[in-house]
Amino acid sequence: MHGLSSRMLMGGAAGVLAGVLAGIGMLSISAAGARPAGQSVPPSARLFAGAHLPPLLTRPGEPVTLHYALVCAPREDGLPCAGAGDVFIRVGQSGGFTRLPLQRGDDSKEGRYFVEVPPAIAGSPAGFSYYATLRDHETGETLTLPSGGPAAPQRSLQLDAAVDVALGPHSFGHVRHADARAVEAPWGSGAGQLGLAGSKDLGRFGPSAFDVDANGGIAVLDQVNGRLSRWNRGGVPVATTAVKVDRGLADLALEPDGTIDVLEPPSAEHHDPSLKSFRPNGSLRWAQQLSDRTWAKLARGPSGPVVLQDPSEQWLPVADHGAPHDRGAQARAAHAGRPLGSGRELLVERVGSDELRIAETAGTATVRAWRVTSATSIGEVQLAERLGARLLVVVKTYTDERDEFTALVLDHSGVSQQFSLTPSQWAETAPLARFRLAGTSLYQLGSTEAGAFVDRYDLEVTQ
Amino acid sequence: MRTLPKIPFGARVFMAAFGVALSLALTSGAQAYHNFWAGCGYEAPTFMTTMTRDAAQSYAYAASYEGYHWGGGCWNYDDADSYPYEGPGDVSSHGEGADCSGLTFKTWRESQDVAKDGRYYWRALRNVHGPYGTLAFKAGYGAPNHVVNKSTAGVMDAFSSDTHIGMVFFRSLYGGDQVIEAKCEACGTNIFYETYRSNSAYGGVGRWGWTG
Repeated sequence: MHGLSSRMLMGGAAGVLAGVLAGIGMLSISAAGARPAGQSVPPSARLFAGAHLPPLLTRPGEPVTLHYALVCAPREDGLPCAGAGDVFIRVGQSGGFTRLPLQRGDDSKEGRYFVEVPPAIAGSPAGFSYYATLRDHETGETLTLPSGGPAAPQRSLQLDAAVDVALGPHSFGHVRHADARAVEAPWGSGAGQLGLAGSKDLGRFGPSAFDVDANGGIAVLDQVNGRLSRWNRGGVPVATTAVKVDRGLADLALEPDGTIDVLEPPSAEHHDPSLKSFRPNGSLRWAQQLSDRTWAKLARGPSGPVVLQDPSEQWLPVADHGAPHDRGAQARAAHAGRPLGSGRELLVERVGSDELRIAETAGTATVRAWRVTSATSIGEVQLAERLGARLLVVVKTYTDERDEFTALVLDHSGVSQQFSLTPSQWAETAPLARFRLAGTSLYQLGSTEAGAFVDRYDLEVTQ
Repeated sequence: MRTLPKIPFGARVFMAAFGVALSLALTSGAQAYHNFWAGCGYEAPTFMTTMTRDAAQSYAYAASYEGYHWGGGCWNYDDADSYPYEGPGDVSSHGEGADCSGLTFKTWRESQDVAKDGRYYWRALRNVHGPYGTLAFKAGYGAPNHVVNKSTAGVMDAFSSDTHIGMVFFRSLYGGDQVIEAKCEACGTNIFYETYRSNSAYGGVGRWGWTG
C-alpha cells in the first residue's frame, strides 16, 4: 500500500473540489430542465372533444334524435362548455348534405346537443348518412365527428324484414359445461404459466386476450410476462414468443400469415392507443397510432386488422395487406359495420337496456337481420360472427346482482341454439376479447384464483 | 492478459467525488420530483349552485394524461404524469394524479363532510381525496351519493366494485361504455372502453343534485 505524498494530497483536494462542483452543476442543469412540481398550466386545446352514439339500425317509422356530448377545458365558474354544432345529413349514401343546426338542451345525461332528424330523412328506405361539426365558442376550436367527416360519414340503415327473437326472462344458474378445456395454466411466469398483475385491493389483471390459429392451436397474450404463449390442439404448451408490449390490457388477433397484431391502450407513458404488428418471431414490424382516442375491439378484416374506435363509433382499418394506415387514412376508410369482405358488413347495435339489432349488409341492401329483445338486461356484445348461413352472437345478460354470458345461434327462423356460460371473470381482460369462434367451436378465455384457462364449446350446427 | 491503463490518483478522487455529488444531486432531485404534493394547494373549495353532467365530463377528462396516484387527488394540466413509476398502493410517494375514488369525489363536487350534499368545486391542484373509498361509493354511502340501476346509468353516473370506480363518459356501440377513470399506476387516467355495466362485481352509483 502506498503512502500519501503532498502531490497526491493536492491532486486529491483538487479532485474533490472539481467533482463536487461538477455534481452540483449537474443538479442545476437537471433542476432547470424540469417543471417545478405542482406548477399549474392552462388546460390544453386537446380537451375539446365530442361523443355520439349513432343509431345504426332504425325501425320503419321510428323517430330518430341524434345526441352529442361536447367536452372542453373545465371552466373556473364550473359551468359547461359554451358550444354549438351542426349535423350534415343526407338520404342514402351519396349526394349532397343538408345542414341541421344542433339544439342545446337543458339536460346532458344523454348528450346536451341534439337534433331531431326530419321524418322524410329518418324514414327513407335507403337510410341516411351524416356527420357533425362541433364548436367551442370559448376557444374557437372545432372538431368533426366522425373524424372522417363527409368522406366516411355515419351510416344508418332501416331494419326492415328482421327476424324477431324474444328471449324472455333469463334463468340464471343453468350454464352449459365446456366440451373441453383447451388451455389450463396456473398463474406464474414459468413455462405453461400465465402472468397475473395487481392485487386483491387494486384489482387483478390476467392475460388480456387470445386467438385461435389455423391449426386449432391457441395463442394467449400474456402481457404481464411480455410474451405470446401457445398451446397446441391437444392443450399442451408448445412455445412462447417474446413480444415488446406495455402491460396494459390489450386485444390480440393472429393473421393467416402468422403476423401478431396487438392493440394497446393508452398508458401513463403513451397517451395514444396504438396497434403493434409483430412478425411471427415476435420482432416488431411497425406500430401505428390509432385515429381515435379509445378502442373497443380488434378484429381481422378482409385485408388487415380493423378496430372499433371511439368517439367515431366506427370500424377503422389500421393496415392494408401489411402496410399501416396513418390516422387520416384510417378515418377516411371507416365503416359503420365490421367489414366482412366482398363489400359486406356486419352492423351491431345495442338499443336501450334490452334490445340488440344486427344486420349483415351488402352495399346499402340488408342481406339478413335480427332484432333480439330480452326481459333481462343485455350488456355488451362480446362476439358476433358468421357461422355459415347462421350467425353466432355472444352477449352478456345481467341484473344488478348477477351476470352470465348467453350464446345464440341465429338463423332465418330465429334461434337454432342457445346456452348460457359462466362469466369466469376473476381477473380482468380486454373488454371484448373473451370469446373467439374457430370452425364450429366457440372458445372462452376465463380465470379463477388458480389460474387462467380457455374452454371450448362445440356448436351443433352444420355450416 | 490486457491491463487497464493506470488512472492518476487525482482523477480517481475526482471521479469518486463526482459520483458522490451526482448521487446526492439525483437523490435530492428525486425527492423534489417525488414530492409533487409540495406544489398542491389546501384552500377551501368554492361552493356552487349548479353542477351539470357535461361540466363534470369536462372536469374529469381534463385529468386524463395527468397520471394516477393511489390515495391522491392533485394534478396540473401539463398532459403528463410527473411521476409515472410509483409503487402500487402507496400514498406516501406523493405523486401526481388522483386515484379512482379521488377522481370521482372531485368530479362530483362533493364535501369532505359525508353529511353534506352541496356542490363544492375543487381546483385540479387542490390536494384532496375525499372520505369515500370504492366500498363506500358502491354502497351509496354519504349524503350526496346513492345507488342506481346499472341498466339506466347515464353520463357521469358511475360503476363501482370493491376495488375500483369509473364514471360513464358516454355509452358506446356493442353495449359497452366509454368510462373516464383513474385506472391504475401503469394505465394512468383516461377514457377506456369498459364492460363494468354488466359485470356483477360492479354496482351502479349516482350523485344527487345534477342541475342539467
